[in-house]
Amino acid sequence: MRSLTVLYDSDCELCRRIRAWLEGQPAYVNLLFVPAGSDEARRRFPELDHAATLAELTIIGDNGAVYRNGKAFLICLWALRDYREWSLALASPELWPIARRFLVWMSNRRFQIGEITPVHSTGQD
Amino acid sequence: MNENITFTVSTYLVYLIISIALTVWVARTLYRNGHVFLVDVFHGNETLANSVNHLLVVGFYLINLGYVSLALKLSSNVDDARQSIEALSGKVGGVLVVLGMMHFFNLYVFSRIRRRATLSSIAPPVPADACTVAQKV
Repeated sequence: MRSLTVLYDSDCELCRRIRAWLEGQPAYVNLLFVPAGSDEARRRFPELDHAATLAELTIIGDNGAVYRNGKAFLICLWALRDYREWSLALASPELWPIARRFLVWMSNRRFQIGEITPVHSTGQD
Repeated sequence: MNENITFTVSTYLVYLIISIALTVWVARTLYRNGHVFLVDVFHGNETLANSVNHLLVVGFYLINLGYVSLALKLSSNVDDARQSIEALSGKVGGVLVVLGMMHFFNLYVFSRIRRRATLSSIAPPVPADACTVAQKV
């Protein structure tokens, strides 16, 4: 796999900040960011259920593999040079059920978390 | 008195011979077996593997011979063969423990290098949820 397309929620402050962080990290796999539900996303992935991508984070590999929700977050870590070992550890049978629940919980509350955490101006907006 | 000095000096000499021989033997073992390992890690790049291997062995020699040299001095005179053997045993034991620690440290370094090298080719840790058609952009 050479690249991954991340369908992120562009209406969510936390998601935009995570995107900015991800873009600054050295990666093994090229990460492309496309707003979920956008025309661009529909054009690139005509067979995908785009209503579902607005509800949960979806990542598609250049081989067509679709990763959703908790797995999608894990795949983001796997793509990064400094965090691939973390992704392997989190995917172990002991940790994965807990890690997945936490990631899904965080994802479902992304708007609240974005509101309560302080905003660091990245100077990009 | 003369005999005492002879005992002390011969203890030193035997200590140096044993310690240096041990250091050379461990370093050569490391060099021989590390080579195969490094060639694999560096994807068959013999030149790079040789270079890294050589640098590791030089560091290994410096630290061990440095320790052998620092640990040479005996705190008291050696009067007879029994004391000589006891002193020798203590000193050589120290060298063996340091050699062992250095050896394991080297193995750790090798495994770190290997882990970093294999990490880039590891497949995703979870299976995909589905498969879709991706349009070429």
